[in-house]
Amino acid sequence: MIASMSRQRLRIAVIGAGIGGLTLAIALRQRGLAAKVFEQASELNEIGAAVALSANSTRELRRLGVLDAITAVSTEPTELIYRDWRDGHRIAAYPVRDNIQYQKRFGAPFHGVHRADLQRILSDALGGVGLHLGHRLTNLVDHGDTIGLEFANGRFAQADLVIGADGVRSVVRRFVTGGEDAVYSGTSAFRGIVPADRLPSLPNSQALQFWMGPNAHLLHYAIGCRGEAVNFLAAVEGPAVWPHADQWLTEVEPGEALAAFKGWHPAVTEMVGAVEHKVRWGLFSVRPLLTWHRGRALLLGDAAHAMLPHHGQGANTTIEDAVTLAELLAGASPSELEAVAGRYQALRRARTRKIQRSSRVTNDLLHLPDGPALAERNRRVSRFPEDFGWIHQFDALRSVSKADQVAGLAEAPQLE
Amino acid sequence: MSKFSTVSETKCQEKTVHQDDIKTAFVEILEEVANVNRTAVTGDHRLREDLGIDSLSLIDVAVAAEDTFGIRIPDEDLEGFQTVSDALGYIRHASVTA
Repeated sequence: MIASMSRQRLRIAVIGAGIGGLTLAIALRQRGLAAKVFEQASELNEIGAAVALSANSTRELRRLGVLDAITAVSTEPTELIYRDWRDGHRIAAYPVRDNIQYQKRFGAPFHGVHRADLQRILSDALGGVGLHLGHRLTNLVDHGDTIGLEFANGRFAQADLVIGADGVRSVVRRFVTGGEDAVYSGTSAFRGIVPADRLPSLPNSQALQFWMGPNAHLLHYAIGCRGEAVNFLAAVEGPAVWPHADQWLTEVEPGEALAAFKGWHPAVTEMVGAVEHKVRWGLFSVRPLLTWHRGRALLLGDAAHAMLPHHGQGANTTIEDAVTLAELLAGASPSELEAVAGRYQALRRARTRKIQRSSRVTNDLLHLPDGPALAERNRRVSRFPEDFGWIHQFDALRSVSKADQVAGLAEAPQLE
Repeated sequence: MSKFSTVSETKCQEKTVHQDDIKTAFVEILEEVANVNRTAVTGDHRLREDLGIDSLSLIDVAVAAEDTFGIRIPDEDLEGFQTVSDALGYIRHASVTA
């Protein structure tokens, strides 16, 4: 804090007031740095339904002082269970809340939370400071030492640093890479939230469960302070070609969602059928980028590494990004920003690419047809903690200090 | 004319040196990010079976190679790498066309 006050004050502009932008603003403020957050929407609305926060993000949210508020409106799953699509038998299961097993192993809790609740808690923590709604970024202009921002409402701003936390269709990313890097996966999903008491066929309604079958899977977990609602994502193969160039929702005929799960266990058809599906979500990812920054503009969250949702890591890796970047920016002067951007990219690129790849491979694993390949799938899901523990045990803040220690062998120690 | 041939010779020499540099730098990457003993590495070694590089470590290798050589190695190309020579051939080709 003392160092940042003695240096020239950074002008930081964050584009997007989603989970990434808000978390970054809170993490920056915790380090004595102010940011202006520009959001295109005129009010903060949640997109999507719920989000599963795993230990790699809840440990950071605890450090930011917002975890208690999140815990109060969340549900920790009792177990993680993999089930067969047709008869529903348990293929593999691991305790999560039961015996505090997950917290003991990964050092922080797992929470299912409604996106609207999470966004409200984050924006309350920020207290509206520096939040500018109704600002849709249309253009960035590189002035060398500063960067100009132009908005659709006719306003302009200048910043030393612009951070694009503006999602899979990021405007900032187009400035950084000069192209379109979002790629349709060939898969899509139906989402919904259903009151738990409307799901009489569902075993273990408080668990996080994957129902795996031919060309589709259903993932669900409970949310709310008492697990009173169940959030689900029903992912299917296709359509082969996404019908829109600029949006990830497309209208569907009545009954289309349910038809994709014909013959599945009653718990699945009951859940998918409990919601009137008017749209399906195209599942997009951002192809691994060679660079996350251009001059004074850099990328965070889905803008940098949108991934398939099958590890539930989109929001979690975004929170990792935000904390990493805030920690690197603490104490940095304007002349050090490009070096900070390079260090940020070096810390984040490989990790997020691994999770992107793993999420893509998991899609194939979850959608196998009945047949001999199922034995290998069952072996894989039976090794979940061994194979995927690396995702959950990661400590973003510690990754910065570890990198500092390595760099410290060759560089002069920091003034602080 | 002699001026042109001189330029061409210089370029060819640079390219030869560059290819040796690529091999050295790539083996250094294998050692640093995938814990491979560099003295034991030959072009015929298979990345996964012989050098024990799993799919996650292979991404560390790809990201480090992208940074070092300024090329892009998409996942679908990376998955086609069987041997050290495959990787070196890809990097050389991509470095020339980059």
